[in-house]
Amino acid sequence: MDVMLIVKAVGALSLIGVMSAILLATAAQKFHVDIDPRVQQVLDALPGANCGACGNPSCFSVAEGIAEGRLLATTCVAGGQEVADAVATVMGQDTCVVATVLACRHCGGGTKAQRAYVYGGAHSCNAVDKLAGGSLLCPNGCLGYGDCVRACPFDAMSMDERGLPVIDLAKCTGCGVCVTECPRGGTGLLELVPESAAVVVRCGSRDRVKERRAYCPMTCIACKKCERACPSDAIHVIDMLAVVDYDKCTACNTCVAVCPQKCIDVTGRASRRSATVTDGTAGDFEGFVSKSAAQVEEAEQA
Amino acid sequence: MSGVAQLMLLFIGAALVNNILLTRFIALCSFFGISNDMHTSIGMSLAVIFVMMMASTATWMFYYFLLKPLGVGEFLYIPAFILVIAALVQFVEMYLRKYSPALYRAMGIYLPLITTNCAVLAAATEAVKPGFFKMGIAYNFTLGENLIYTLGVSCGYGFALLSFTAMRERLELAQVPEWLKGSPMAFITAGLLTLGYIGLGSLFGL
Repeated sequence: MDVMLIVKAVGALSLIGVMSAILLATAAQKFHVDIDPRVQQVLDALPGANCGACGNPSCFSVAEGIAEGRLLATTCVAGGQEVADAVATVMGQDTCVVATVLACRHCGGGTKAQRAYVYGGAHSCNAVDKLAGGSLLCPNGCLGYGDCVRACPFDAMSMDERGLPVIDLAKCTGCGVCVTECPRGGTGLLELVPESAAVVVRCGSRDRVKERRAYCPMTCIACKKCERACPSDAIHVIDMLAVVDYDKCTACNTCVAVCPQKCIDVTGRASRRSATVTDGTAGDFEGFVSKSAAQVEEAEQA
Repeated sequence: MSGVAQLMLLFIGAALVNNILLTRFIALCSFFGISNDMHTSIGMSLAVIFVMMMASTATWMFYYFLLKPLGVGEFLYIPAFILVIAALVQFVEMYLRKYSPALYRAMGIYLPLITTNCAVLAAATEAVKPGFFKMGIAYNFTLGENLIYTLGVSCGYGFALLSFTAMRERLELAQVPEWLKGSPMAFITAGLLTLGYIGLGSLFGL
């Protein structure tokens, strides 16, 4: 064995190692960057579980966002009021009230709604929507190619046989990714509603009622029965479409019972009903059972 | 053959004929790992081109000015290159963070990943150890040849990664059978893409 070779090898590697160490140590001092101290403070206030429930990749990215002012102090969904207060204190803001939201779908048309043309391209709502305004005759209806389902970070959405996305409210965090992804999210097809929302109108069409009825059997016909029946003045027909005022709604489900189109559904995380069971129009689709609000109550008590 | 033509052949040979991802199957982890998203792929490709050029220049110098004169280059090049590349990438990361925040945001998060990317080590090694990965074209490169060669390898990496990403993004929207969704389909696509690249094998007799 050539001893000199070993010495040279060890020497060469040590030399490179020591040179790198000196270089990096010097660089760490010379290129030191001051970061916003609030990032670390906000990070400490956050739960630090990196659960992703807010739709951001990690607690650190949320802390950065809050410190830069991109995100609100109430961003953390999992932490709730307590964490929001702590974050607000760090940021020197007044305490803010956390309003939990959930996604909901304003369409019951699915495969029953008439199509304007037969589409055979890429299986994507965003692609269909760019082709002559979408394959549906309804300008606000669900196209049914499931972009929201693919986008959902929490696996809370699925397409059922009716061609509609169903939201599992137990899994939904209200991150709003589906609303952003949906080409019709901006026109109110998918919407974020308060967690306490108990009823939802499964129609969002802004077309004229006569035309709506011609191409979709599930549409709101603006008959105002719900408006008259509501004891708390919480549902109104505005621009030929029933709209719920969630501040006034007391979850009595009267509107669900009187709607002749079964266009209004019971929903909501508080009632722990999955959206599949309570879709009012479900009975018109093969293999689905429509349940009235009373039936759901019965099933729950049993 | 003239010098310029030789360099161009070297570039094309490194980028297409002996594509590092699809013909030689080096750095496949990043190839499958980050090819879901075009935005990420572009950042990664740029960062790989940047790091590879610098790393192979540095390792070339270390090899010819330190290891070879000492007579230990024959067996010590891999640990030495790993050290040099790791230190260099960390240094560059710090430098970018201080002096070019825009560039740092664009590729900062990929730099630490590339430290351990096998493609960088492969390109650095081939420049000084001809035929290590059974490349027909490698000789003892001069520094200039080394730069062209590394540029070819890294551009080939970027080109293959971006084309594969584009295909995967399109496949996301295709109605693939349930049991082929995701990785299986990605592997089949990569296999077909590889066939195409191997078809370039006899190009210019390289």
